[in-house]
Amino acid sequence: MQIPANLAQTIVDSRAYAAGDPVDEAFRTIRAEMPLAVAEPEGMEPFWVVSRHADIMTVEKQPDIFHNGDKSTFLTLKEMEPMVRFITGGEPNLVRSLVSLDGQEHKDLRAVVFPSVTPKALRGLEDDIRKIAKTFVAEMLEKAPECDFATDVAFLYPLRVIMTVLGVPQEDEPFMLKLTQELFSSADPELNRDRKEVNPAEALDGLRRTMEDLEAYFGVMTEKFRANPTDQVNSLIANAKVNGEYLNRRQLMGYYIIAATAGHDTTSNTTAGAMWALAERPHLFEQLKADPGKVNAFVEESIRWVVPVKHFMRSATQDTEVSGQKIKAGDWMMLSYQSANRDEAVFDDPFDYRIDREPNRQIAFGYGAHVCLGQHLARMEMRILWEELFPHLKSIELAGTPQRTISNFVCGPKHVPIRFTLN
Amino acid sequence: MAEPFKRYRCTYCGQEYDEAEGWPEDGIAPGTRWEDVPDDWYCPTCGAEKADFEMVEIG
Repeated sequence: MQIPANLAQTIVDSRAYAAGDPVDEAFRTIRAEMPLAVAEPEGMEPFWVVSRHADIMTVEKQPDIFHNGDKSTFLTLKEMEPMVRFITGGEPNLVRSLVSLDGQEHKDLRAVVFPSVTPKALRGLEDDIRKIAKTFVAEMLEKAPECDFATDVAFLYPLRVIMTVLGVPQEDEPFMLKLTQELFSSADPELNRDRKEVNPAEALDGLRRTMEDLEAYFGVMTEKFRANPTDQVNSLIANAKVNGEYLNRRQLMGYYIIAATAGHDTTSNTTAGAMWALAERPHLFEQLKADPGKVNAFVEESIRWVVPVKHFMRSATQDTEVSGQKIKAGDWMMLSYQSANRDEAVFDDPFDYRIDREPNRQIAFGYGAHVCLGQHLARMEMRILWEELFPHLKSIELAGTPQRTISNFVCGPKHVPIRFTLN
Repeated sequence: MAEPFKRYRCTYCGQEYDEAEGWPEDGIAPGTRWEDVPDDWYCPTCGAEKADFEMVEIG
């Protein structure tokens, strides 16, 4: 079955994601009428749209059948593919990171950082993260009665946390934030490399220049950590060996980049989106103040609501079936977490923000072998921020219209103006 | 008659622990019952703790 052109166009349209509702409406129709069907938006290779929660789980549970890295791991235009392969020497993804790896290589590389991000390992970081949270809360309170919660708090706090975990000096944070935003927001003239409207080829060139800056920066870091190893994550990456060899240049750079960028941008988006939701729902804030124990449920619902990673792509390595639908070897597939987290078959009132979902089966971190490596860190740092902030606040409301980034991949609110009163 | 083996699933990533198979990579022998899995064992895929697994409904 073919998804009608207008719907297919909407679910890849960065501006539709920035608007929000058009994408949710398109996926609502797709889930109801063609939950696993082919989309062929203009300029793109056709792909299956996996819109249901259960089907995404089915696909993600079979990483040998559905590969991440044989084709582009995220939506891309057909005309981009040869350029990316040219730049990378034949690979379909500009960055060779965990999200684009398969099989033993994925397993080996994931194992490098995994022991540092288990809940058990993270418990040792709780005090340090709480100190960071207190710093940002204090700065926000000084701005009373108004701030842009996205740019003043949500972008900066997770950045400080992840840079501390990685071992990046504080003075380099603005540089890392800029490069991350360039990497994930190439379609947004406010945040992309050239700070203007660009065509796809210019966007790719901007990404390439951003990558060069990142590679130069991390090249120096590798030397530093090999000379003086620490227990910080970037040192683990710099010194990791697989079969007796250091990671190759593509693996090293991909690892640094995914850890540094995905390690904060997703949490920033979720944190900003959570505050937006709260500012529009005074009853929710009252509930949280009355029962601080609900903070974990609030965090989980924020993740379901914001869905900071809108999709990942897979491709089938063999002829197979998903929910009775035949999929051919080589077929490209869009796993829409945006859609799955609104799936009526899993969530009651999916378009309502509720902190009474028990359990909350949100699937924004993915599932199976590729489930987000930093998910427990993300939850912990958000919980700590709210624990530190809420006791100071009496009320919150929007002080303007929030705005989302123009992107169809990793994105969320970029401005959340709020007015707040203090206890 | 011995109780049939059960399976438990990590609520965070879907990783399953099958009592019949154990988890030999972590030194947990095949046939190890869930209650005998050490409390400090964690999900080999996502790191979630033993308490974050739920029993898989059979049938």
